[in-house]
Amino acid sequence: MTVKALYDYNYPSKDRPELFGDDMLVHVMWANNMMFCSAACFRAPKAMSFADFKSQMVDPWAASDPDYDPSSAREWQVNGEPFGADSDVSLADTGVGHKGLFSFRT
Amino acid sequence: MTSKPNVRQVGVDLQDSEDSRALVEAIEEDNPDVNLIRMPGLVKMQIPGQLVIRRETVEQRMGREWETHEFQMNIVSYSGNISEWDDDQIVIKWEH
Amino acid sequence: MAKAKLSMRERYRLLTRDLDWEPTYVDPKKVYPYTRYEGIKIHDWDAWDDPFRLTIDSYCKYQAEKDKKLYAVIDGFAQGQGHLSLTDARYVNSLKLFLQGVTPLEYQAHRHFGYLARHLDGPGARFAALCQSIDELRHTQTEIHTISQYNKYYGGLHNWSRMHDRVWYLSVPKSFFDDGLSAGPFEFLTAISFSFEYFLTNLLFVPFMSGASFNGDLATMTFGFSAQSDESRHMTLGLEVLKFMLEQDEDNVPIIQDWVDKWFWRGYRLLGLVAAMMDYMLPRKIMSWKEAFELYLEQQMLEGLFPDLEYYGIRPPRHVEQAITEKEYMSHQVYWILYQFSFAASFNTTVPTDEELDWMSGAYPETFDRFYRPLWERARRLEEEGNRFFFRGLPMLCQTCQIPMGFSEPGDPSTLSIRTSQFRGERFNFCSDGCKWIFDREPEKYVQAWLPVHQIYQGNCGGTTIPEVLNWYGIQDGVDNGEYLTSPDKANWDKWHTGAVVGGA
Repeated sequence: MTVKALYDYNYPSKDRPELFGDDMLVHVMWANNMMFCSAACFRAPKAMSFADFKSQMVDPWAASDPDYDPSSAREWQVNGEPFGADSDVSLADTGVGHKGLFSFRT
Repeated sequence: MTSKPNVRQVGVDLQDSEDSRALVEAIEEDNPDVNLIRMPGLVKMQIPGQLVIRRETVEQRMGREWETHEFQMNIVSYSGNISEWDDDQIVIKWEH
Repeated sequence: MAKAKLSMRERYRLLTRDLDWEPTYVDPKKVYPYTRYEGIKIHDWDAWDDPFRLTIDSYCKYQAEKDKKLYAVIDGFAQGQGHLSLTDARYVNSLKLFLQGVTPLEYQAHRHFGYLARHLDGPGARFAALCQSIDELRHTQTEIHTISQYNKYYGGLHNWSRMHDRVWYLSVPKSFFDDGLSAGPFEFLTAISFSFEYFLTNLLFVPFMSGASFNGDLATMTFGFSAQSDESRHMTLGLEVLKFMLEQDEDNVPIIQDWVDKWFWRGYRLLGLVAAMMDYMLPRKIMSWKEAFELYLEQQMLEGLFPDLEYYGIRPPRHVEQAITEKEYMSHQVYWILYQFSFAASFNTTVPTDEELDWMSGAYPETFDRFYRPLWERARRLEEEGNRFFFRGLPMLCQTCQIPMGFSEPGDPSTLSIRTSQFRGERFNFCSDGCKWIFDREPEKYVQAWLPVHQIYQGNCGGTTIPEVLNWYGIQDGVDNGEYLTSPDKANWDKWHTGAVVGGA
């Protein structure tokens, strides 16, 4: 179904990938910790390694909970599929995609 | 939501004010089965089937002339369907 | 010689039908160009009936009386230092959320009903829209006057108009209303007049106004009930317009069913903010969200209204079962979001008191002690240790309702619900089946959503740091936002109630 309108209704997405240049939006969810009401959203370079993404962005956020131990994050998933959390792989190569979701448990 | 009550409730919520007192009494007089609940600032009146507000009864209780349009001054909300609103009465009930 | 007074029915007929004329030298389709493209077929506009049978003279007379009463109360409130008689300054936070969220919507409604008062084909419908347009302007004004009373003494209300266009949680009501404004006239009427003002209004206004009364807020109670007396007229319009469309042509039924489905879920998600206010932000509770939902939605609407609409072939809204499941925990999920993001909000939040926690255990026996009490107790420990818990980052947002994605899988409070759709190769995220369904119907519309988090990341909100964004929002850091216990509102309230201060500023 499409929008009913009196004219040709066609507008670009407000968050289309090219607006973010060499970066992308990525979500991260700490799956078994209800202290965080929702997943977090980050803007990160596509070329950033997963290890850097975790240590520079995910860890400081997860440390909102003072009990967070960065070494305890495990069972990573990318968009619901198991993910090895390989340190060297770039965010782009994880397959998470723009506005995609990583999740982990502790 | 599986069991449907046979006679559905309708009702009005009025401001719990001095102005509404005579109106509440008139509604109670004309609708003997009405169930009255007081909430902070509100009088909630509910009844199975239909609720009627009659100008004559209200005027007797108020001791002055009252037109049905004036009901707007007291009403906060209602549940049901306004099936009739003329010079002499207001009737709230479900249609189908 | 005095003429016999005309009956209400006759006066209404003369105003709405007798004064109208058929255009002859311009095609009526050009005079009313917007009432056909949505697919709704209207054969006889004269079948429109307004049970209130309002005419200009009675409209003006009663509206003037309502205003006189209202402003007398507001004056008395100001002169008698009414704000000091509240249950607690914490209460004002519910008012801030309400006034920031609703006041601009009233103004938008004023504008759009003005548009309908010009563009609907039938004179009865146009007159009803005209009255409602004026009502909505009156509500905007009464709310601004109430804001003005509180703005003298409390933080957070000084910048409500700008905040509405910018702040993340106000994008929830704003995007809801913009969705309606940018639809055609019949969808707008279904969205706002029927779904919002008939189907959901009692859940929005009635418990909240009773809450105001119960918490000593005379000013709000009075503008609320004064607005609500107009609202009962708007409710009537909402039901009438729906029945009118349904009676005009059978082809209208599936279109309207779709709108009823969409706007139920849109409105219900918006009411999440009301649920949080009722259970958490009123120091003295009137009823729980769950009780209000059972009374106003399940009993009055699903058991009362929908059997009536079944006659026309309309069934209860899609996804309503999920709303029923959520009544056990929805308010907790929404306030938990507000609690941890209030560093970026123009109101304060805090951990409920012990009495409140016990009240919630009683009101939500299935879920509260198991899922939410432990969170609040931990949040309180952290606060006491000087480490008040905030979400240090930005949240994932739902593309449709724009609320941070803090809702759970239906019936499973410990698992977050995340739904996705792909459109033109791009991924979109949703908090629920309802929000995903709405997007999938009209993806071309919702891809344009102005999502506050993504806008910050695009650099459109004054900068990338929290202080820069707060500055752009018009929120004064340390004054309007954050924890209640350490807020200026709390400090002032304690000072005003020590009894030591006499006169002076």
